Amino acid sequence: MSNYVVLSPEAHHSARVLTDPGKTEADRVQFAMTYPLEFRKIQACYPIFFSKSSDTGEFFPLALFGFEKGENLFIDQSQWHASYIPMMIERQPFLIGYQKTSNDSQNPVVSIDISSPKVSENEGQALFEDNQPTDYMKGIMSKLEALHHGHEHSKGFISALTDNGLLEPFTLDITLDNGVNKQLIGFYTINEHKLLDLDGDTLAELNKNGYLQPIYMAVASLARIKDLIDKKNALSS
Amino acid sequence: MKNSINKIIIVGGGTAGWLSAGIIAAEHYSNENDFELYLIESPDIPTIGVGEGTWPSMRSTLKKIGISETEFFRECSASFKQGTQFFNWTHGNGETYSHPFTAPHNFNEKNLAPHWQKIREDIPFADAVCPQTPLINNQLAPKDITTPEYAFNVNYGYHLDAGKFAELLRIHCVTHLGVKHISANMTAINSSEDGDIQSITTDTKGTIEGDLFIDCSGTRALLIGEHFKIPTLSKKKYLFNDSALAAQISYQTEEDPIQSCTLSTAQTAGWIWDIGLPTRRGIGHVYSSQYNSEENARAELLAYIKKTAGKNAADNASIRKITFDPGHREKFWHKNCVAIGMSAGFIEPLEASALVLVELSAAMVAEQLPANRKVMDIVAKRFNEKFNYRWNRIIDFIKLHYILSKRTDTDYWIDNCRACSIPDSLQELIDIWQYQVPWHRDNYHIDEMFPSASFQYVLYGMDFVTEMNPMSKRSDREAGIQAQAMFIENANHAQRLAASMPSNRELINKIYKYGLQKV
Repeated sequence: MSNYVVLSPEAHHSARVLTDPGKTEADRVQFAMTYPLEFRKIQACYPIFFSKSSDTGEFFPLALFGFEKGENLFIDQSQWHASYIPMMIERQPFLIGYQKTSNDSQNPVVSIDISSPKVSENEGQALFEDNQPTDYMKGIMSKLEALHHGHEHSKGFISALTDNGLLEPFTLDITLDNGVNKQLIGFYTINEHKLLDLDGDTLAELNKNGYLQPIYMAVASLARIKDLIDKKNALSS
Repeated sequence: MKNSINKIIIVGGGTAGWLSAGIIAAEHYSNENDFELYLIESPDIPTIGVGEGTWPSMRSTLKKIGISETEFFRECSASFKQGTQFFNWTHGNGETYSHPFTAPHNFNEKNLAPHWQKIREDIPFADAVCPQTPLINNQLAPKDITTPEYAFNVNYGYHLDAGKFAELLRIHCVTHLGVKHISANMTAINSSEDGDIQSITTDTKGTIEGDLFIDCSGTRALLIGEHFKIPTLSKKKYLFNDSALAAQISYQTEEDPIQSCTLSTAQTAGWIWDIGLPTRRGIGHVYSSQYNSEENARAELLAYIKKTAGKNAADNASIRKITFDPGHREKFWHKNCVAIGMSAGFIEPLEASALVLVELSAAMVAEQLPANRKVMDIVAKRFNEKFNYRWNRIIDFIKLHYILSKRTDTDYWIDNCRACSIPDSLQELIDIWQYQVPWHRDNYHIDEMFPSASFQYVLYGMDFVTEMNPMSKRSDREAGIQAQAMFIENANHAQRLAASMPSNRELINKIYKYGLQKV
């Protein structure tokens, strides 16, 4: 279970973070949330799908790493083999939380998951030096800020997809070389028939908001499913 | 010669009028034909909110009309209804049984009822064959926030605020389905030479001609009754209830659970309904004036309110009285006029048949809309046969609840079991079911109103005994083993669902906040 607390130089002056992706259990996940703003890099390595938040039912885009819970086919011997690591993996164990201020507005604050296996006392990158954030920490903070913007943009992107009926459920049945059947369910993809049927005005509107390019990148990313299957076959042969 | 049918006039708003308008317009409205639908509604006559409970059929009806389920929940104070929970119907000793909307496990292929007879002392029928009862008992929802609109984990219909529902339908019909709303009072019905209705004159919007007129004017039945004098067939000799006392009760806190089924509690000469909306509970006592005084019925209602909502709620309850003559028209479609809703008939609200009859009637009008006046009489004849049959099936099914009761505390319950008060069609079924369980073969029609599953739930919920034929077949042993496995599967499924479904209120609040997805 994660345990996020507000980050402060006082409380975390001696904390360190293991930054190598794949090194800890924290990265052994089947997928990570992603954002249209990083689709260009994501689609070079991972298939992009959509899933629903179990809490709100709202859609979010994700980069897929494996065929079952806890399976990350990109990690081999504690090393993540890919030319790009998704931002939601990179930002760990940090996130932006919100603190209620006295006048009832929300104040963004950086939080750290102190129960994450990436947090260490003696290994990895330091967060603070002389009560000042280190370069590593500064880098994280700018990533978190980018994520925050990415999240806002993503909301509009998802609305545009659902308003135009562009998402459809997707089921993938594969048979591995060793004869084992795998089924991917509960994910959604772009409905290409609907996409091809959109009229000019709708396409222009999507394009104006920066949504059209990521839609096509998500479509193109499905070619990466083959890479995942290959990795799975290599592993089980 | 113009005798094609393309201009429909609905007289009367309310849920029957607007629901019919939505169903018919959704089927026929298009920019490419000259179909026209007018709805004339008096601005002076308040509609009475009948039928706060629906069947699961309402899901596909709403979907067809093109209303989003999220919008429906937000606008109509709707909640999930997963069936009915009955109290005190069998003995009056605090016993209970449920009639869930989900059919028994694997119902299309396997009849579990004969196998349940062997374990009937150990587990109630509904619990053994269906995973829904634990959800109902714990006020849980039939789906979660990730389930798309109109899809479900277990089958459901709705409880809704009828006034708000009519309003949502009106806006949708006028905005998206080309329905023309005429707010005026009808002052005259004008006939053509052949006796058809030719037009309707209004006080402020002139005279409106039409090809087909739909009477949704409620119990006043302005067209089918007042104008055409089609009589009503009273069914009071089968179903005694003719009066109701209705109240609306507030929740004590905003977090009070919302029941996810209708609660029906038998009384000395009637029963009390309890319907949970997110905003309030609708509670009412429907009874027979022949067997119960209004004073006593009121006292029983107030006692129920006091017990379930507190003394304060009982002291402040404002109670409205409704009387009705249970029955239906001798025919529903006469010349170029068809009655839908309370103009067609009304019987007590047990099993919530009012709105489903509106859905079915309007759907048949929409689907079989006569091409011209010449074939209308044939369609009318078919319509009358079908709905006469349906009303009789509803009467049989409602009456079943009364004749299975073993209560003898009042004449009401005793007289309900007298042979003269039981329709022959129902008595025949009961005779057969003493030796064989209800199954698909009992359906005479493919679109039977009540599937044999419903009969099973009520029969075995109310302790009815079917003596299975002792000459057991060779396949019985194997079938018994299969059935055992299904009972276990069902129990596991029930456990998983009860552990994962949100509460009715939690899901409704999430629908307000996030909405349900379309896919």
